[in-house]
Amino acid sequence: MSNATDQHVLLNATGLTKTYRMGGEDLHVLQGLDIQIRRGQWLAILGSSGSGKSTLLHVLGGLDRPTQGEVVFDNQAIFSLSGARLDRYRNRHVGFVFQFYHLLPELNVVENVLIAAMAGQSIVGWSRTRVEARSRAEQLLNRLGLSHRLHHRPAKLSGGERQRVAIARALINEPDVLLADEPTGNLDATTGDQILEVLGEFHRAGQAIVMVTHDQRIAQFADQTVVLESGRLVGAK
Amino acid sequence: MYKLLLIFKYLRRKLAPLFAALAVTLCTAMVIIVISVMGGFLQLMRESAQRLTGQVTIGSDLSGFPHHQELVDELDQLPEVAAATAMVRAYGLINMFNRVHTIEVVGVDPKSFDDVTNYRDTLYWTNQHLLDDLERTLPPIDKMTQRQRAMYESSMQQYQRVDLRDLGMSFTPLHQPLNQPPLPGIVLGIEVSPYNRRDEQGKYHLSVSPLNTELTLTVLPLTLRGTVMEPAVRRMVVANEFKSGLYEIDANRVYVPFDLLQQMLRMDAAEEADPDTGQPTGRTLPSRASEIMLRGQDMVSLDQLNRAVTAKVEQFVGARSGMPPLWVQTWQQRHATLLGAVEKEKMLLTFLFAIISVVAVAMIGVIFYMIVLEKTRDIGVLRAIGASRGGIMSIFLGYGLVIGCLGAGLGTALAAAIVYHINEIQDFLTVYFNFTMWDPSVYYFDKVPSRLDPLETTLIAVMAVLSSLAGSLIPAYTAGRVDPVESIRYE
Ligand SMILES: Nc1ncnc2c1ncn2[C@@H]1O[C@H](COP(=O)(O)OP(=O)(O)OP(=O)(O)O)[C@@H](O)[C@H]1O
Ligand SMILES: [Mg+2]
Repeated sequence: MSNATDQHVLLNATGLTKTYRMGGEDLHVLQGLDIQIRRGQWLAILGSSGSGKSTLLHVLGGLDRPTQGEVVFDNQAIFSLSGARLDRYRNRHVGFVFQFYHLLPELNVVENVLIAAMAGQSIVGWSRTRVEARSRAEQLLNRLGLSHRLHHRPAKLSGGERQRVAIARALINEPDVLLADEPTGNLDATTGDQILEVLGEFHRAGQAIVMVTHDQRIAQFADQTVVLESGRLVGAK
Repeated sequence: MYKLLLIFKYLRRKLAPLFAALAVTLCTAMVIIVISVMGGFLQLMRESAQRLTGQVTIGSDLSGFPHHQELVDELDQLPEVAAATAMVRAYGLINMFNRVHTIEVVGVDPKSFDDVTNYRDTLYWTNQHLLDDLERTLPPIDKMTQRQRAMYESSMQQYQRVDLRDLGMSFTPLHQPLNQPPLPGIVLGIEVSPYNRRDEQGKYHLSVSPLNTELTLTVLPLTLRGTVMEPAVRRMVVANEFKSGLYEIDANRVYVPFDLLQQMLRMDAAEEADPDTGQPTGRTLPSRASEIMLRGQDMVSLDQLNRAVTAKVEQFVGARSGMPPLWVQTWQQRHATLLGAVEKEKMLLTFLFAIISVVAVAMIGVIFYMIVLEKTRDIGVLRAIGASRGGIMSIFLGYGLVIGCLGAGLGTALAAAIVYHINEIQDFLTVYFNFTMWDPSVYYFDKVPSRLDPLETTLIAVMAVLSSLAGSLIPAYTAGRVDPVESIRYE
């Protein structure tokens, strides 16, 4: 296994465990799991429902804390960072895409994308970067085929369109890695495949992607697949 | 930056917070209105109290003190003093319309009394009342009989010659009883006569007033030792009535000429009699007064005035033998009980409404809490894209701030609109619903006070904003504590 200083390694997670205490019993979701994400990689994590895929993704993205273990990004163990730095890590270096899109209903399409850019900025900082961020957002949405829907609110969009907005939101800050949690789980096969096409496009442009799914067929879109089983990764399939 | 955007969006897209803003608006308006009306009421009472008693009063007891004229003259010399007047005060009986009442009798020198208290302005009946009354009782000029016409014209002529307020000032009745020597005039408080009734507009009617009525005044003179002498009884005619604005005074006080009351009370200058033998001793006792009232110069504070007068009085009393001790009181001290009661009432009401306002705070808390619950998923998403706990909290605090400012602003505007038109509103209620909110006979004054104190109003508005912030505190904290993982797990 290559070490953390390998310049191709983006994220290096070692010894991740996650234990939930339910009633009197412990539920071991992750059990000493190691994983490395390399630059430009599209990795699919395959696992059955309840196997801990989402949990793993949240830990990698700094949204959830593991019971044990660390995730190292850029030579920094992210869970030793201060709250503000961890917020910054989520904002700058990772982008989340969720199964249920999770757009903010009060905001229109552009605003939903821009809010991720705003979240990392003070008012002063935002006024300096606003124009640039906006053009980047429009460019992204254009690439995702949404240029005619910029000012619509999520309620007016189809599922596929919503997921594309969510992808734009995840990518607006040019993150090092895109973390996609069953991005097609709520879509029909055709629409789902279109989303995967889109992800493929960004991947070809150099975007690292970690995608979790329980669907073998969907995992095939990635260039590497690992299986999550009993709280560990059990090699490629 | 996203915070402002979200505050703005949440404000535009949600109805619930508008209810919160409405609650803040109503509570703010309520408290401001109560404070303004009660504060205005208090201020009116203060003004009336000052008008009635001047700013500082000097006195001894009911048997009075001598050398009052010299003391008045010396007080007048003080740079702090604008005017001073001596008075005689006694309690007596008044027999009018064959009814006997107890009454406070005050003997005044109208000229200097007016300088101190604006007495003339409190005299109620003017020539205009006479003219109005004449017009009301007689038919229109073209329908008058000859006799009516003659009466009308002679009355008109008389009214043009005299001024009813001047007559009150000089204690000269407009009409004397026929076929007997002229009687001295007396000025009654407007509520002394049982027939005087204030109408809905707070006006009195000349037709039932005791003006020109003959009555009997009885007072009990006291010896210097405080024992009661033979009652002094005088027939008098009502020359005018006064309305000070304070019901207690208007119902229980009459004014008579200073010298007359002095005589009746045997407080005028007299030869001294030996208390044991009753034989004259050949020495003259100086005349006595019971009180001296004075008004300070405009720029002089009550405190300064009080100090200057107290020093003067001490010096004056010290320099003369046989002066009884004199007290010096400011109007605030004299009316402390009444003013204190109203002040307490104002505080109590403000307190009660402040408690009601806690409901508004709770309402904001509940509404915001509901919004936070409803927005848990969005909060999780925001955390996932890098928003901090503090950032999430500040969205809801800022939201509370905006709601508070909105409510406070609207509430102040609403309160101003109501307070400035409160008398119109009161008239409207009276006319259309026969509902009298402000009964002048209960509240001393005929109009609802309508003024806003800028300082108090601002304070209340600021309090409203702070309360809204307080109300959003717990929901904001809850929002900050939302576990992002939990909140985004499901749809
Ligand atoms: N807060 C929690 N308390 C207790 N158990 C939890 C909690 N969160 C998750 N779990 C459990 O952890 C296990 C892993 O959950 P996770 O959501 O990561 O699974 P998943 O592989 O994403 O499943 P799915 O395919 O259904 O999305 C599940 O059995 C779940 O019930
Ligand atoms: Mg999952």
